[in-house]
Amino acid sequence: MKNRVRLLKLTIICVLIISSTTGCWNRRELDNLAIVTGIAIDKIKDSGKTQLTVQIVKPAELKREGGGGTGKAYVNNTNTGDTIFGSIRGFTHKFSQKLYFQHNQILIFSLDIAKEGVQKYIDFFLRDPETRLTVLVLVAKDKAGEILDVEPQLQKIPAMDITNILEAQSATSQSSQVKLEQFLTRLMSKTTAPIAPLIEISGEGSEKVALISGMAVFKKDKLAGQLNAIETRGLLWVIGEVKSGIIDVDSPDGNGKVSLEIVRASSKITPEIKDGKIHIKVKITEEGNLGSQSSLENYALPRAVESLEKMKAAAIRSEVLAVLKKARKLNTDIFGFGDSVYKKYPKLWQELETRWDEIFPQIEVEVAVEAKLRRLGRITEPANPEKE
Amino acid sequence: MIGFILKKLRFWQMLKFNPKKEDYTTKLPQSEISHDLGKNLKILKDIMGTSRDIIFREFAFGHRGQVKGAIIFIDGLTDKSTINQSIIKPLMFDSRLTGPEEKLDNDYIDLIKTTMLYAGDVEQVTSINDIVDGCLSGDTILFINGCKDALLISTEGWESRGVEDAKTDAVVRGPREGFSESLRTNTALLRRKIKSTEFTLETMVIGKRTKTSVCIAYLKGLANPSLIEEVRRRLERINTDAILESGYIEQFIEDAPFSLFSTVANSEKPDVVAAKLLEGRAAILVDGTPFVLTVPMLFIESFQSAEDYYSRPYFASLIRTLRFLAFVISVLNPAMYVAVSTFHQELIPTPLLFTQAAAHEGIPFPAVVQALIMGVFFEILREAGVRLPRPVGQAVSIVGALVIGEAAVSAGVIEAPMVIMVAITAVSSFVIPAQTDVGAILRIIYLILAGTMGGFGILLGLIGTLIHLASLRSFGTPYFSPLAPLTARDLKDVFIRAPIWAMSTRPRTIDLKGSQRQKSNLKPDPPSDE
Repeated sequence: MKNRVRLLKLTIICVLIISSTTGCWNRRELDNLAIVTGIAIDKIKDSGKTQLTVQIVKPAELKREGGGGTGKAYVNNTNTGDTIFGSIRGFTHKFSQKLYFQHNQILIFSLDIAKEGVQKYIDFFLRDPETRLTVLVLVAKDKAGEILDVEPQLQKIPAMDITNILEAQSATSQSSQVKLEQFLTRLMSKTTAPIAPLIEISGEGSEKVALISGMAVFKKDKLAGQLNAIETRGLLWVIGEVKSGIIDVDSPDGNGKVSLEIVRASSKITPEIKDGKIHIKVKITEEGNLGSQSSLENYALPRAVESLEKMKAAAIRSEVLAVLKKARKLNTDIFGFGDSVYKKYPKLWQELETRWDEIFPQIEVEVAVEAKLRRLGRITEPANPEKE
Repeated sequence: MIGFILKKLRFWQMLKFNPKKEDYTTKLPQSEISHDLGKNLKILKDIMGTSRDIIFREFAFGHRGQVKGAIIFIDGLTDKSTINQSIIKPLMFDSRLTGPEEKLDNDYIDLIKTTMLYAGDVEQVTSINDIVDGCLSGDTILFINGCKDALLISTEGWESRGVEDAKTDAVVRGPREGFSESLRTNTALLRRKIKSTEFTLETMVIGKRTKTSVCIAYLKGLANPSLIEEVRRRLERINTDAILESGYIEQFIEDAPFSLFSTVANSEKPDVVAAKLLEGRAAILVDGTPFVLTVPMLFIESFQSAEDYYSRPYFASLIRTLRFLAFVISVLNPAMYVAVSTFHQELIPTPLLFTQAAAHEGIPFPAVVQALIMGVFFEILREAGVRLPRPVGQAVSIVGALVIGEAAVSAGVIEAPMVIMVAITAVSSFVIPAQTDVGAILRIIYLILAGTMGGFGILLGLIGTLIHLASLRSFGTPYFSPLAPLTARDLKDVFIRAPIWAMSTRPRTIDLKGSQRQKSNLKPDPPSDE
């Protein structure tokens, strides 16, 4: 009997502990959710207030196939407030349902916000348990809110469309998707500069499209500069993020162009300190196929392949050099050289850290590219009338 | 804790409920048979009453009919031709050959028993009690005037269903015969599978009024003697007036009477029962039902089908794994759906969430209520399908399918994904027949937990269920073994079914010694072509 009472007590204690250690949860029926798919943050110049644009999905409109109905499957709404959280809560005056952020796809900062520094705007998205760290971060070349208004070409919801475009960037490696957590990791690093893809509206009227190209580079949390498409790929070569893409080189015989497809690439950053000077070796290994050629030359020969490989390596090298130049100019360590030095020389780092801004532009970088051409595609020689 | 509360409840109930005491043990006048035939018949007539199916046939035989005798039997329970040909005929014909001065005492009845009766099974009894019992179970009683003993002649014979296809545990490959209602047929079916003298049957009679024959079957030398002793002890404890089906016995001998899970297995197929006996289990056969109980039962037994062992191991293992999956689906699916769609929408992939939200639009009920409505409706349909006479069944299924599948959705009462969930659950729940009833109750419990606490509630329920499963025992064997406690060697027959030649030892969980059942190097090894 005594045992049983003890057991009963233990059980009650366990149940009490278990019920008090639950996380944050709440019962919400699906139709009570205003599913947010995109957030854009702008700054109102005159008042200095923050303007928040949210894109909310209307699932019923999404489902309606064909059947007339010109209704958009989403609704954009803006609210202005002093803080992010304040303006988000302000939406309760306008919507019958509570905003639901778990499925938010993108977070766009306007150029003004990026220039001012994103730290104070980003805080809510890190702190609030309802938001995700997998949100994709973008910087608009102008106003952010307008981008969510651009009617997508193929999909029904602009934010989903932008997400897909970002995902597709790996095909060219001329821009890259940056998740909030990746942005945050770089932001919290002492030296590595955060980057985020740039987005702009191109075209007029019904031709308007959201266009992603290049990357924004931050110094601490403030926008420092922009990388164009070539510089972006240069950066991605160095940090080993190139997934695919096309490298155009001149034909070895001089008449025409050859497109080479990147199949896989990797990189290795090796820092070395010699005589108190930091010397960084970037080794890039690339493999690819022959995509197309406009000349009639036959490349299915070892010598031709070799020369194409050399030209490809040179092209990659020039892209890397371009971004190195830009990074030195902006004095932003977008490559994470600082972190790699810290990992290899943790003792020397303390001293280096304080002077990193002076050291970084002076770092000697050696770029070694090893490019391979593996396959020539379905045909070897170009299809042309056979010579006599 | 639940067990503790239940025990308290039981105690209170016992205090409150104190019915008129009735002695359930058989008590008849302990009178002996007397010398006087007339007196005997009078006593018997008093006891047996005036039912028309009890036949008292008095006759005379011997030299000039000097011997008075009577046979008593129940019409319908006995085989008339046996009585006529093997009892009456020899007595009337052959006894004429006896001399005129035959002394009518027990030697004479012994003479009749040994020399005259053509019946196979004859017993000499002295008490009225034995006579009545024998008569009620189809024996014929022979009284001789002047003898203090009577003969009990086995003449059982009644209409019964023959051996037919088993209705449960259907197989594509494997024997189809199932047990029938007759205990003798059933024991014979088992003996035909196991032609060994080790096969032992212990018979006892349970039930004051029904006097049901109950048989414990086991293999001597293989089954653990303490298991058999325990089965015997539990059966002897039963003191009731009626045993109509093995389900009665099951509820009297269960280890955990208040658990949702049954700790006694049943089967309708001789090959399944034989296989279990050969692993060292004991079977309990009850007269009047084709369902044979086997103990001890393991949880995983519900997931093993006879066909697993008859088909090749790859497919058997795949199906075995699928059965576990189906059980999980049948128990957790509606609960998971409710939890995810009302508590953890962040777990749903974004495009699916849009579809879901669109489907939910305009539905007045929360997901948990919808799931409950559909779940209850499905159970009603199922029950109706089982109970209804065959011709009506079709009408019910059409109406049910239409209402569930189409009308509820288009009327905007139930969201479409819920119908899919309930349908998947329903189909899955039929995969494991032995746990279907458990599944139905667990499903509702989990559904309520999920509806109130979400995934957290499901987790609590799962922990509770697992703890309960691990704490159960069936006749001394841990119910959840070989998973908990883990017996690695027995895992050969849990999620995967090892080839027959590889399963060289009996399951350790049943046969504690884990003894060898075949040579260990039986892997087929055809000669190479050289």
